[in-house]
Amino acid sequence: MPSPDFLALVVTLKMATVTTVILLLIGTPLAWYLAKMTSRFKVIIEAIVALPLVLPPTVLGFYLLIAFSPQHLPGQIWQQVTGQQLAFSFSAIVIGSVLYSLPFVVQPLQKAFEQLGDSLLEAGAMLGAGPFDRFFTIVLPLTKASFITAASLGFAHTVGEFGVILMIGGNIPGETRVLSITLFDHVEAFDYAKAHILAISLLIGSMILLACVYLLNLPRNKTDKLS
Amino acid sequence: MQLSKLSSLIIFCSLLYMSASFASQNNNPLRIAVAANFTPVLKALLVEFHQKTNIETQIISGATGALFLQIKHGAPFDILISADSVRPKRLEQQGLIVNDSRKTYALGQLALFSMEHKTQLTDLEKPSKHFAIANPDIAPYGKAAKQTLQHLGLWHQYKKNLITGINVNQTFAQIRSRAVSSGIIANSQLVINKLAGVVIPTSYHQPIEQQLVIIKNQGNYDFAKQLSDYLLSPKVQQKIVNFGYANHELTESIAKPLTQQGISHAKP
Repeated sequence: MPSPDFLALVVTLKMATVTTVILLLIGTPLAWYLAKMTSRFKVIIEAIVALPLVLPPTVLGFYLLIAFSPQHLPGQIWQQVTGQQLAFSFSAIVIGSVLYSLPFVVQPLQKAFEQLGDSLLEAGAMLGAGPFDRFFTIVLPLTKASFITAASLGFAHTVGEFGVILMIGGNIPGETRVLSITLFDHVEAFDYAKAHILAISLLIGSMILLACVYLLNLPRNKTDKLS
Repeated sequence: MQLSKLSSLIIFCSLLYMSASFASQNNNPLRIAVAANFTPVLKALLVEFHQKTNIETQIISGATGALFLQIKHGAPFDILISADSVRPKRLEQQGLIVNDSRKTYALGQLALFSMEHKTQLTDLEKPSKHFAIANPDIAPYGKAAKQTLQHLGLWHQYKKNLITGINVNQTFAQIRSRAVSSGIIANSQLVINKLAGVVIPTSYHQPIEQQLVIIKNQGNYDFAKQLSDYLLSPKVQQKIVNFGYANHELTESIAKPLTQQGISHAKP
């Protein structure tokens, strides 16, 4: 039997990894679409994407809890398709995290795509490269730093998530109990020694991750300016 | 294309891992949703319970209100050990619990507490600048604290000085960290943390009936019933009182003569 804190670490890393992968898959086309969009509805979609930045997590969590519950349609559909209840499952906290961390992935990518310009892509098209070919041989290498930034921010923000998961996760060990909630439990139980260990590890971990992001961005920005 | 293949592989693997972890949890342990202020007591009691029955347990500690909301929306908890009787009653009304499983397992006891000076009940008559109680609208210990101040005719003096915590644990933390000089908390918190305060007579407020309920259709009914029986057994009830809860017997002995009279009247 692994220690409860270790179990929470495993769940947290699993959640953040799955969330980041899904976010990159959804966020990349969405950011591309937003970068190329000229319609006036663009501002509305941008506002929706940015909403989790300003919305209290408990608001998002509360509505997700209602939506995921077996009494309501999204929860019912999920139950019929998968045979399992959505609320209080690992899948629920992943969906919650995807929504909650969406702006952290979409915004850096959108900015990168906007700065890219059309000339290189047009040149690629002229030389007969298909859309996927153009994306993987032109766009991806040029925006690699932004992808790393987006993935790291999405990952780090998901690790630090609390309010949404507290609402929809149900604090179940090995399934939905993540580090931030374990930390809260330790504080509630006046177990400050354990709380300090978790809090300091989270602090140092986030610090290192963010420092790495900025480190990776540093040389690339310089070469960008030179070229 | 390679990248998307890779990511779909990652998703597939994680789905596999998820379903594997699901399968391994088919033999579910007893999931106990417990009000935060009873958690330390429960943890202490579960040691003996596990030795006796060999039942594996998982504790989900939280505010009663949040646990209630989650149970209403299908949280997989087997038993709710609440800090009040309102939420268990409401679950019963909504048909979410096993019939007749709603039982009072403890009576809350309030205490006046300060880290800065030795307290006595008369301190209440001179309100300090800040005074901490749990939120009377949502927390049972806060409600009882408000009733106590009302009973003493001091509520209006205190109203403006109150710092209210979301639950009595937060209130305790505020006083213990000396952020607030004094306040009303649960006596059990003082007992568990070996601190001294003044017990507030239970006659100053309505009884803080802490009830438990067994949630319907969770497939762990036998284990939940065993835990309920264990907590309600006289020996464990005495242990709970020793942890700083009010004595059942005392309140029952006040109530008993009345009911006995009622019975003797009914049978001429």
